[in-house]
Formats: sequence, C-alpha cells, structure tokens
Amino acid sequence: MKTKKFSKAHYDYLKLHRTKKILTLLTQIAILVAFFLGWELLSRFGVISSFFFSSPTRVAKLIGEMLRSGELIYHSRVTLNETLIGFAVATGVGFLVAFVLWYSNFLRQVSEPFLVVLNSLPKVALGPIIIIWFGAGDKAIIFMCILIVVIVTILNILNSFTNCDNQLIALGKSLGASKMQIFFKIVLPSSLKDIISTLKVNVGLSWIGSIMGELLVSKAGLGYLLTYGKQVANMHLVMTATVVLCLLASLMYFAVALFEKLMQKKLK
Amino acid sequence: MFVQVKNLNLIYQSQTDETQALNDISFDIEKQDFVAIVGPSGCGKTTILSLISGLIKPTSGTVLVDGKMPKPKDNLCGYMFQRDNLLPWKTIEKNIYFGLEIKKQASNERKNYAISLADKYGLKEFLKKYPSELSGGMRQRVALIRTLALKPELLLLDEPFSALDYQTRLNLCNDIFSIIKREKKTAILVTHDIQEAISMADKIIVLSARPAKIKAIHLPNFEANLTPFERRNTTKAKRLFEKIWQEIQDENKKI
Ligand SMILES: Nc1ncnc2c1ncn2[C@@H]1O[C@H](COP(=O)(O)OP(=O)(O)OP(=O)(O)O)[C@@H](O)[C@H]1O
Ligand SMILES: [Mg+2]
Repeated sequence: MKTKKFSKAHYDYLKLHRTKKILTLLTQIAILVAFFLGWELLSRFGVISSFFFSSPTRVAKLIGEMLRSGELIYHSRVTLNETLIGFAVATGVGFLVAFVLWYSNFLRQVSEPFLVVLNSLPKVALGPIIIIWFGAGDKAIIFMCILIVVIVTILNILNSFTNCDNQLIALGKSLGASKMQIFFKIVLPSSLKDIISTLKVNVGLSWIGSIMGELLVSKAGLGYLLTYGKQVANMHLVMTATVVLCLLASLMYFAVALFEKLMQKKLK
Repeated sequence: MFVQVKNLNLIYQSQTDETQALNDISFDIEKQDFVAIVGPSGCGKTTILSLISGLIKPTSGTVLVDGKMPKPKDNLCGYMFQRDNLLPWKTIEKNIYFGLEIKKQASNERKNYAISLADKYGLKEFLKKYPSELSGGMRQRVALIRTLALKPELLLLDEPFSALDYQTRLNLCNDIFSIIKREKKTAILVTHDIQEAISMADKIIVLSARPAKIKAIHLPNFEANLTPFERRNTTKAKRLFEKIWQEIQDENKKI
C-alpha cells in the first residue's frame, strides 16, 4: 500500500490525543503520590494514630526488613501460587464447561438452575466443609479459590457464547459449516472481548478466593500475615501485607491487560 | 426441474405465539432460470429462501433442489442474506474468503477469482480494512463477492442491492445479470424493487400479504440479449410494472 500524506488536522488530532493521554497518566500518578504523602504526613503529625494506621515509611521499612529475611518472598510466593493455580484451573475448567453447555442445549437447560443457585451461594460458607474434606492446607485454599472463580466464569462465558449473533450463525450454517466450525470460526471470535473481560474479573476473584481461604485456614501466605498481624495487634504488618497484596494483584491485572493487547494485535 | 416447490406451508412456532408465514406455495424453477420474488414487506420472501437453502424445514409440503431435499452442506446454493453479515473481526479480504474457508475450497485460483471480483467492484483499496470502516453499500458488495466466490449453482439473493445508490445499483444489476447468464447459473432474487425484478428476471413471482400465497406469476419474455438496463426502457417493462404495482398495492391494503 502507498504511504499516505496526512493533513495538518490529522497531526493536530494526534497531538491532542497524546496530550490527553499524558494528562490522564499524570493525574493518576498525582493521586497516588497525594495518597501516600497525605497518609505519611497525617500519621507523622499525629492527626491519625500511627498505631492504628501505620505509615508509608514504616511499611517501606518493614518491607525492606522482610525482604532481607526472605519472609516476604516466601509468603508472597505461597499466596501467588495458590492464586495462579486457582485462576488457571478455574478459567480453563470454566471455559470447557461453557463450551459443553453451549454445544448441548439439553445439558444447558438441565444445568441452568444449579448454576444459578451455586452462583448466588456465598462460597465462604462452604469453608468448613472444604477444610474437612481437603485438610487445613493449601489444597483447601486452592479449592476455595477455584469454587469462587469457576461458576462466574461458566456463566459469563456461556452467556457470551449464547449471545452470539444468530444471523452470523445462520451465515455459517448456510455455508454448510459444522458445529465445531461454527464455534471456532464464529462464536469464539465473537466472544473474545467478553472472555478477556472475564479474565480480568477472574484476577480479582481468584485473589478473593486465595485470601479468603488463607484467612480461614492457612499457616503461610499473605492472608496468614494479615491474620497474624491482627492477632498480635501489629498494624505495620497488616498494612504491609495489604500493600504487597495490592502490588501483586495489580501486576497480575497488567499481565492480563498485556495479554489482551497481544491478542488484539494478533487478530489484526 | 431444478427447484421444485410444492404445497409449501410454514408456521413459525414460539412459546407464546405461532405465525403462519407461507400458505400453500408452489412453483418450479428450471436450470438457468432467473426468478424474482416480489411482495409486500413481511410477507414471507426471506422465509422462502431459507427453505430453499435448507436452513429451515417446511411445516408441510416439499422443497426439492436438484431432486433432493436441500441441505446447506450440499454446496448447491450460495445464499446472500438480507443483512451483509460480515464478520467484524476479519478484514474485508478475509471476509471475502470466509465461504471458501468454511467449505475448504480456499485454493489460490478461487482466491484470485474473489480478488478479481473485489477489484472489479471497487473494493481493492479496502481489502485490508475492517467492515466497520466501510459504507453500507460497500459492505453489501463484499457480501455479494463472498457469495459469488463459491461459484454456486443456485444463487439466492435477498435484496442484494438495497443499500446501494441508484447508479451503483443499476450497474451492479447489469454485472450480476451477465455473470449469471455467462456462467449459466440459476438465481432467485428477492426484491422490493419491481423495476429491478422486471429488468432481471425471466419469471416474476408476486406474493400476497402474509401468510404468503402466490398472487401471480409473470413471464416478461423479453427479446434475448437485452441488458437489464435496456429492458427497463421497453414499453413492455412499463406495462408490467403498472400491473405488478397494482397487485402489490391491493395486497398492501389488506395489511
Ligand atoms: N425466526 C422467526 N420466528 C418467528 N417469526 C418469524 C421468524 N422469521 C420471520 N418471521 C415472521 O414471518 C413473517 C415473514 O417473514 P420474512 O422474513 O420471510 O418476510 P420478508 O418477506 O422477507 O420481509 P421483508 O420484506 O421485510 O424482508 C413475518 O411476519 C415475520 O415476523
Ligand atoms: Mg426479508
């Protein structure tokens, strides 16, 4: 294709676009800085009690200490492990079940009320049962995590599959496409956006699952640090675990966002 | 007899209601016929095409295409839908190949044929673009090329020119007409445009208001070798137009 010469208006448009983007980013950074600075100053000047609220410098100091002792890495790794396994298994299983239920109308109708009830059930309530079945260890935590993520995954992805444009499916059928062809060439690409947004939701849910599990049973992990910190009234530890959790969760979210970008590029 | 439609009835069923779309429709189409179906909006024209393509089954009556019950897998029909149905995540080029891809006929020869059509209909520059970047008329041409690329024996065209401007429409009519005649294909064209039907078809089926019955069948019998454009300007075409107009007008009054 020939390279195109653009009008001045186009460059102005690009410039405006870039300016807006930079402004957004700067504002986001400013909000973070203001938050931590405010937190620090308020606790330093005794407006809020540093016993209850800790402070960024104390949290940073504790992070440094725990990094040196290896504790932070250890506990983070335990939680991250549970979360990632939970996320991967639940997403994979959820996708497969959604596919099967899309494929078979009969199975879909049979399973619908069960899925709806399972979805509205607060999974934490199953905590005691899970612990009795799986023991008070990471198996129980991972199972809890999967349980929380998988039902929503099935419902969201199935919903996206069944909402696929009927006219496009009719086109496939008129071309003599098999059901598998219809799935892979029409339904799946139509649902890609929804699947990626399901992944994003699942990141959050799998953290909920693993931390919830750890709060119930664990001997290690960030959830364990949270409970432990609470029991010994060490707010610095509680805040530190929370901050690290935020960091890890955002990292995982960005990984999914990056995956989304890659997928978009591949599609183009 | 290439297409044989006999005592066709179709009732759409739903939980709360049933809609009778077709009422005892019978007609025959010979090989290489060009048939147009006209009728008031919502009378059941698309339904007839769906039945002939094998997408839906009749409530009663029979449809035979080439002596068999039609099945989409048979590769006999090329169905161009009323809506363009382009896949929004595929480029125009990939959309044009979509039928070939599904039918596993994406040979270079077929692809080149498709691209030559795209070139002819002014879409060459847009091959790498996405459907959302094209106008309605352009999208309709892409859908038409996707259908033609399969070189089907029987073309089912559901208002293929509705989104085009008048000029393009007349030109495309001429082109489609000559492709179909040259390749000795059979075609069924559904249209709202009576003139279009008269200018292209060897046989015009006029349907009544829903549930569709056959109101009349006209055989214009133009001299051979006239293009659709030339046909439009004959007095025969004008007389036939008035007649069909009146027939549909009568039906519209019943709605
Ligand atoms: N899938 C369906 N389920 C139920 N009713 C339907 C369905 N498809 C069409 N109908 C009904 O059948 C009748 C005929 O529909 P059809 O689409 O064949 O009309 P048409 O002649 O193609 O109309 P138009 O000129 O507006 O395209 C309409 O009343 C419509 O509401
Ligand atoms: Mg229609």
